[in-house]
Amino acid sequence: MAKAIKTVSTVVSKVEDLGNDTKRFTLVDQDDWELPPFRPGAHIDVHLGQGLVRTYSLCNEPDDNRRYVIAVKREREGRGGSNFLHDRVEAGQPISVSLPRGGIALDPEGTNVFVAGGIGVTPFISAIRHLERRGRSNYVLHWTSRGQPVLPDMIVPAIEAGRVRLYDTTTQAKPVIAAIVREFVGSGLAACCGPAPMLQAFEDAVSAWPEERKHIEMFTPPKVSAKSDVPPYELYLSASKKLATVTPDVGLLGTLDALGVDVPVSCGGGICGACRTRWSEGPPIHRDRVLSPAERQNELIVCVGDCAGQRLVLDL
Amino acid sequence: MDAIAIEKPEVAMSWQGVVRFLHKTPRAFLPMRSFPSLELVAGRGIEGDRYFVGHETGFYSHKPEEGRQVTLFEMETLEALRRDHKIELLPEEHRRNVTVEGVPLNHLVGHRFRLGETIVEATRLSTPCRHIEEILGKSVFDPLINRSGLNCKIIAGGTLRVGDAVRPI
Repeated sequence: MAKAIKTVSTVVSKVEDLGNDTKRFTLVDQDDWELPPFRPGAHIDVHLGQGLVRTYSLCNEPDDNRRYVIAVKREREGRGGSNFLHDRVEAGQPISVSLPRGGIALDPEGTNVFVAGGIGVTPFISAIRHLERRGRSNYVLHWTSRGQPVLPDMIVPAIEAGRVRLYDTTTQAKPVIAAIVREFVGSGLAACCGPAPMLQAFEDAVSAWPEERKHIEMFTPPKVSAKSDVPPYELYLSASKKLATVTPDVGLLGTLDALGVDVPVSCGGGICGACRTRWSEGPPIHRDRVLSPAERQNELIVCVGDCAGQRLVLDL
Repeated sequence: MDAIAIEKPEVAMSWQGVVRFLHKTPRAFLPMRSFPSLELVAGRGIEGDRYFVGHETGFYSHKPEEGRQVTLFEMETLEALRRDHKIELLPEEHRRNVTVEGVPLNHLVGHRFRLGETIVEATRLSTPCRHIEEILGKSVFDPLINRSGLNCKIIAGGTLRVGDAVRPI
């Protein structure tokens, strides 16, 4: 049986060397079809092969729906993703990406104050382009960079309008983030993306702000819904003799996927019954709307299932 | 005592609908694009669609099924989502190929009917999937249970156009 398609197939249409160890990659559909939609400041997982998956913010805006643009700074001491992209990825190559996720819930009326460090500007470039396209000027970007910043070409109108404050830390002091956000304490949105010390300073500065008025971009995947309310448990697959621990952030289905078990999931919501699986030890938690009480005695709909005990044994 | 005879009068389905929108997409996850007409090929699917037999690139292509050759959805369901759940689901967002109005899709499983100049046979009701919620970011899974459209195989192909009549055989 063919394998399930779980990623969006794109092609690298352009690679630009922006200097300062940064490259910009433009990804498109092979037939120039529209790509799945995204929110300003959203990010995608880029699948680089052999299990190498890295997350990057999209720098273009949602209305620009036939391409995904990412900017990648080479991290020489990093885990390998940026080096792979810089050294091995060229125009014309196919590349798989996840559906976009996340994004910044921009304040439509109040001021959106963006605080960025270096390449951390990428989600705000998307947000600024989105606002500019709509004729909105209710934002300000404070952008710290070591030397000349990269990507200013994507927000030229914003820079020319004086809505971007640049700090070249090779010639001037770093800005005091608490002072930047102080004037917006009563209204608007504050968002930050940058190195850890900058994020920490930002978090300290907005610690008393309501959650909906602050945004910290850390590239963490969203929590898996409906799977986070049970403690970790052991999963044993009796037919294939595989053992794993199911944690709330990965969930049962994610764990089966990681074990390489191709469960025939269809609806993903517990109503179609395609993934019904026999169990022998549990007891499982049933969240489906398919199985009868009698069937639940030895079957489980795994796409929404879990375990109420410490060990779940499935006939897989 | 004589058994009581239960009357079972003949019931004839009487309806006539119309094709309101036509959509297809070439690959999994990509947005559906609207077209004024689609080419339906008997036994294979819609030319250029992700489930066209021989060029399968859809989300469910690893689970081949005749009923994915063409899928239908009711305009009335879009209205119900707006009315009952305050959800604005657009014709290009439900990810079925043909949006019809005035066609009782849930009654047609196992039946053949005319879709413009083509003839299709309904194989099963479509089921909603979390995949749509993932793509759209709209909570439509529960409201679409039991009214998520119809899966059909194509018995007689041809060109299907917006505005074409949909009729029983």
